[in-house]
Amino acid sequence: MTSTDDADGQDLLGHVLLPVANEEDAFATAMALEPYEPEHVTALHVVEKGEGVPDKTPVEQSEELASESYAAVRRVFPDADDHTAYARDIVGAIFDAADEVDASAIAYRSRGGNRIMQFLSGDLSLKLVTNAHLPVIALPREDSSE
Amino acid sequence: MSDEELAKDLGLVSAMTIGIGTMIGAGIFVLPGVAVNADGGAGPIVVVSFIVGGVIAMVNALSVSELGTAMPKAGGGYYYINKSLGPMFGSIAGMGDWMGLAFASAFYCIGFGQYLAVFVGLPAIPGLNSIQVGALVAGAIFIGVNYIGAKETGGIQTMIVGLLLSILAGFSVAGFFSFDYATLAGNEGGLAPGGYGAILPGTALVFVSFLGYAKIATVAEELKNPGRNLPIAIIGSVGIVTVIYAILVTTMLGVVPWPELSQDAPVAQAARVAFPESIGPITGVAGGAAAVMTVGALLATASSANASILASARINFAMGRDKIVTNWLNEIHPNYATPYRSILVTGGLIVLFIALLGQDIEILSKAASVLHLIVYALMNVGLIVFREADTPEYDPDFTVPLYPLTPILGAVLSLGLVAFMDGIEIALSGAFVVAAVAWYFIYARDKTDKQGVLSEHIRSRGSDLPDGVVDAADAVAPTGTENDGPTIMVAVANPRTESALITLASALAQHEGGRVLATHIVTVPDQTSLETAAENRTGLDQSSEELLAAAASDAEAFDVPIETKTILSHRGIEEVFDAARTNDADTVVMGYGGTQFAGGRVEGSLDELTHDLPCDFLVLDGQRLDLSDVLVPTAGGPSSDLSAEVARALRDTAGIDVSLLYVVDSGEEASGREFLADWADGHGLDDAEIRVETGDVEETIGRVGEEYDLVIVGATERGLLSRIVRGSLAFETIENLETPVLLAERPSARSLWERLVGGR
Repeated sequence: MTSTDDADGQDLLGHVLLPVANEEDAFATAMALEPYEPEHVTALHVVEKGEGVPDKTPVEQSEELASESYAAVRRVFPDADDHTAYARDIVGAIFDAADEVDASAIAYRSRGGNRIMQFLSGDLSLKLVTNAHLPVIALPREDSSE
Repeated sequence: MSDEELAKDLGLVSAMTIGIGTMIGAGIFVLPGVAVNADGGAGPIVVVSFIVGGVIAMVNALSVSELGTAMPKAGGGYYYINKSLGPMFGSIAGMGDWMGLAFASAFYCIGFGQYLAVFVGLPAIPGLNSIQVGALVAGAIFIGVNYIGAKETGGIQTMIVGLLLSILAGFSVAGFFSFDYATLAGNEGGLAPGGYGAILPGTALVFVSFLGYAKIATVAEELKNPGRNLPIAIIGSVGIVTVIYAILVTTMLGVVPWPELSQDAPVAQAARVAFPESIGPITGVAGGAAAVMTVGALLATASSANASILASARINFAMGRDKIVTNWLNEIHPNYATPYRSILVTGGLIVLFIALLGQDIEILSKAASVLHLIVYALMNVGLIVFREADTPEYDPDFTVPLYPLTPILGAVLSLGLVAFMDGIEIALSGAFVVAAVAWYFIYARDKTDKQGVLSEHIRSRGSDLPDGVVDAADAVAPTGTENDGPTIMVAVANPRTESALITLASALAQHEGGRVLATHIVTVPDQTSLETAAENRTGLDQSSEELLAAAASDAEAFDVPIETKTILSHRGIEEVFDAARTNDADTVVMGYGGTQFAGGRVEGSLDELTHDLPCDFLVLDGQRLDLSDVLVPTAGGPSSDLSAEVARALRDTAGIDVSLLYVVDSGEEASGREFLADWADGHGLDDAEIRVETGDVEETIGRVGEEYDLVIVGATERGLLSRIVRGSLAFETIENLETPVLLAERPSARSLWERLVGGR
């Protein structure tokens, strides 16, 4: 693992944290990152918790989803690590995970959707880029025609 | 903290909130008016009906608590029953729970519609009354909220339930002051105008108000410290709710004479009477109180419906996991991360029930109760089975008091209450059970592989039990085991070998009643990014498509189902393993050439890779198959079992003659012949020609093999596959033999690592 203690001359892509939502998203995100040849990748899946209300999906299903996502990332980066977090605040969990695995940057791919949908499901992109304390890389979306 | 602990974030209060929030819904807000006026007037005695309902719920709550602490799994009642009584009862329970929740949700929506009608004028459209219109709108919103997964936080949920409880408490206090015993008892017929016989039919009607405590068990895996919190939450919420209901209904009936109690919105009506018209200078208090009650009713019905829709998705998931229903239902939405298909299907049922049966709220509420009661009864039986079968992994933290009395009482009370429903609901539930059993035999039986503790118990004790019992257990046992309906995955690499591989796979699939999955794994050099490769797919797609199309038409000749897939990868052989694993393949058929495409890259990770062979592997060295006879050299062992299976499949599907070969040292021909005859017999190949030869094994196989069209070699050599992949196998016979050779390797129970890497 690349140490990121020292920001001087630090490699931005030394250790990329890759938050992924599902298999398809994971593969697309990994593919989008692949051309930039990151040194090391850790795939992150955040299981959204209700903190007082039942989850959207059973725990077992959430964990299945996580491992499918990791497998998809490993199709592109065979040596990728994985990390699962459980939180209501997804963006907060992403930052926590970044600290925990000592990532040099967070790379993500916006999952699109129109404004209303983004509002209803919580606009993660905005929170991610505005609250960041480490570099956040927005990967290009191929079908960003909307 | 382990992941498992991180996933648990529901404390006692949250769990309690789920139970109380689900139970307090349309039942208490709508049914008192209906119940007191039912069957010509049951009168104030319905208070007792509510209490009896609470007692029945409490007995079941004890059983649910035991089962829930023993198996904190998504699915709740369905899961326990499937596990204990097997998939036939599991089907009844799963479908019962699911449909019961759909009926209950439809009922909550109607309740919502009835209170909504207090606030706003709703239009009626042909075929639907205005309440149904309101209910449909509400239902659509609840389904939409669950579809998007825009959830309130736990805090808000707790607040809603807290608010609800305080509204109800406020009502009780106000009611207490305007309570008049004469209003309660002074009507014609006194306290029980319909006689005490009206109690249980009343309970049957209002029992729907207690559905909800079992929902806590469906989210047991998310509870902190479930061993303690689950029983407290389940039992506690039933207790609290029963007390609340008794107070509320008594208050209502002491404020409004029962014959005048509204059948649509009784709580709002009672509030209007209970609160004074004005307190000091503030006027309109009564109207305001009625409005607050109405808001409470809307909140209560909404949270009940919401929780029920979510719980039904849990049950679908558990059923899908056991293959009682298709897992298609449980696909997760790519953006909202919700089980959207399950929610939509359940939502469709809710809408259907509202539209078709919504005019008569009694049918909806009783149908929901009947289905749940059937599930509760089965659950109690399941509990007894777990205890009696002495299942070692059954270790509940909470045990029911007075076993076996409690579960027996629970089953009897649950089924007994069903008897007090009307003919139509009983008929409906009977038809439903028949349908669920039919579903099991038609759809699920050959898919699921879960056997219940009960049938294992019966079948394992076969000799001690009457034949009829064992036969009955056998007759309903699932047939979908791992070996049935297998997936034969073919890794096709090039057009020259495609036909031979598919033919082999199809023969196997046809023989075993399985399906063929043809995969074309395209290896992309490391230097090329997968993205670039994907961009250049046009050319690739065409060749891949042609190859897979050829595969499909070859398989069709055998009349076996075939699926095709192109997989883009940097890796070769590893991807075959991966694909076999992710597609749940039972057998992989690939070409000898295919094993070589790994290149140098695989070296480092091969050990890692082969330490768990995911399934049977058949590797064909040869390009064409034109079979009329095959030779199976054998010396026993798991891999030669696989060769025998392949030979049998070829014999049965293509009428190919099978010869068996056993190579012995000279002088041991007689015992060799005996061994081989035995072996042939044991592998269903007793009609095969038996050949016992002496000499060097490889040389003999080579010599005899020349006479045949195919030689099937079981990988008795340790680590055969890994050596083929490495290209270090000195099996010259095979390389030099003109005859095609099929290498068969089966993972065995002993350490695969050891066997594959050759026990270094």
